Amino acid sequence: MFFHIVLERNMQLHPRHFGRDLRDKLVTKLMKDVEGTCSGRHGFIVAITGIENVGKGLIRDGTGFVTFPVKYQCVVFRPFKGEILEAVVTMVNKMGFFAEAGPVQIFVSNHLIPDDMEFQTGDMPNYTTSDGSVKIQKESEVRLKIIGTRVDATEIFCIGTIKDDFLGVISDPGATS
Amino acid sequence: MGSHEALSVEPFKRLVKLAARAFYDDITTKGDKQPKTGRSDNRGIAVVVLDALTRRQWVREEDLAKDLKLHSKQLRRTLRFFEEEKLVTRDHRKETAKGAKIYSAAIAATGDGQPGGREGDEKLKMHTHSYCCLDYAQIYDVVRYRLHRMKKMLKDELESKNTVQEYICPNCSKRYTALDALRLISPHDEYFHCESCDGILVAEADKLAAQELGDGDDSARKRRQEKLKDMLQNMEEQLKPLIDQLGRVKDLTVPEFGSLQAWELQNAAGRAANGDHGNDPSKSSQGLGFGGTPMPYVGETKVEVALSGIDGKGENIKSENGNAPSKVLPPWMIRQGMELSDEQRGETKQEAKMAGSSIALESSDDKNTTDEKDDVKNIQDEYVKAYYAALLERQREQEAHDDSQQQMSNASTSNGVAMPTERQVGMKSKLADEYEGDDVEWDEEPPAGNTAKNFKVHDLNVEAEASDEEEDDIDWEEG
Ligand SMILES: [Zn+2]
Repeated sequence: MFFHIVLERNMQLHPRHFGRDLRDKLVTKLMKDVEGTCSGRHGFIVAITGIENVGKGLIRDGTGFVTFPVKYQCVVFRPFKGEILEAVVTMVNKMGFFAEAGPVQIFVSNHLIPDDMEFQTGDMPNYTTSDGSVKIQKESEVRLKIIGTRVDATEIFCIGTIKDDFLGVISDPGATS
Repeated sequence: MGSHEALSVEPFKRLVKLAARAFYDDITTKGDKQPKTGRSDNRGIAVVVLDALTRRQWVREEDLAKDLKLHSKQLRRTLRFFEEEKLVTRDHRKETAKGAKIYSAAIAATGDGQPGGREGDEKLKMHTHSYCCLDYAQIYDVVRYRLHRMKKMLKDELESKNTVQEYICPNCSKRYTALDALRLISPHDEYFHCESCDGILVAEADKLAAQELGDGDDSARKRRQEKLKDMLQNMEEQLKPLIDQLGRVKDLTVPEFGSLQAWELQNAAGRAANGDHGNDPSKSSQGLGFGGTPMPYVGETKVEVALSGIDGKGENIKSENGNAPSKVLPPWMIRQGMELSDEQRGETKQEAKMAGSSIALESSDDKNTTDEKDDVKNIQDEYVKAYYAALLERQREQEAHDDSQQQMSNASTSNGVAMPTERQVGMKSKLADEYEGDDVEWDEEPPAGNTAKNFKVHDLNVEAEASDEEEDDIDWEEG
């Protein structure tokens, strides 16, 4: 799920940036530092949408660096148990397959793949129905449901299922080519 | 300690009894060597032992074995099992006859259990004795956790689509879940590999499903589903009394006996304090308190207090000094106490002992501060009562000496306000002094309560802030 939230961060800025465009430098650095990171608490920071305010800088002893407390608005992405996501398959093996929904990695184990799909080994390992009409392989797009999340301080990993109504492959590059 | 604790103990005892019957009814604790004959079938012993423990606090295991007419080895096996189950705390220590005596004194104080076979203790030299006690706080958690696991397992199995696949290493039997998948993949093949020994992991077959043959077969699956549903329903029905009892116990203060040592100290000291509360307060403050108590030490003090009233200011100061040690342990507290040894009655030892008992109180303190506070209050009340009784008695004696003082004496008995003679002033200041002493002694209590409260409030804040994370924790738990 996506959220609009306000976060705060202490930014350290090198003295060489002190000048007219100090604020721009600060924002650029903030984007570089923060976008794409993940915190277990808020999820993945997708994009900064605005700066709320920049607090008073504090000169650090010895280095000359200045610390600015910056409040910024951003969009975060945080997966939840029970959430339905669309994801791209990145790897298929005997144990199941891995997929990515944006920055989130999801593993679907083989017992959460419908029973009528069987693992086929080879160059392009895949799961295929007995009639060959549906195939899950690398680059396939699947709709899945998250059934568990592991949230660490800097990482979120999910496990999902496609063994439910309306879940599974939504487009199959193998079928069209 | 107070009567309100007795109220909360009963539901917990009932909880233990219910849990014993629900979960430990058919537990056998047989040694492997023993033949499986009907005679050695000791199912139900576990329940008997748990029931017996609800009627005791800390109990020496030998005594318990004697009471239950069980072989001590058999009892020990059962207790070891319950220790592993986290229902029982045990303590082992080497002790001489003296150590056994402390325990005996404590057990006498609680008035429960009949410590049998104590006669021989004098002869024992440094034997290891084991003691055991129910850990009610933990039992509450253990039972809840057990129920939770049972339900979760059935439910997960029922909707098998939502189970987190588990993997196990055949070499080192290390377990993983699907959530570890990212760390387990290998670039070389399509299996998961053990992190420690690189063995190929195997998916653990569904626990209950494995018991039945049906794999993939639709009718088999349906049958399994039905069976699971039945099990879940049966479980909820049959365990309802237990679950209800858990609900009843939820907001009650958990009976807490502390460690063996703390318990002994507390009961040795606590008996004096609590014994009084049980009695009619008027009795303890009037007749009994200052009449002929059998304790020689106490008798002395009382005499001094009475004298100090009669003999004017100079004596007051003296009695103050004389009472100095009893600031630590007020005389009325010892009065009902158990046999203190001679050294303990001596001033120096008394200090040490008091320190010990206050530690004991402190240690139990985190658990039920309110109780302790009540006690402090009771003790202080008791002290005031005793003090006024002393005043009263002294005034009566004064009456005999001096009729002209009668009016004042009336005034003081009616409302207990100190009288405006200089002697009274002296007494009053003494009262204040004594109080100060008391306060110092109990000083730990209110801050402890406060900090606990602060902590709670603080905790709530933290929780509110971290609600996001919290939610996720639950997710993870159930996922
Ligand atoms: Zn291994």
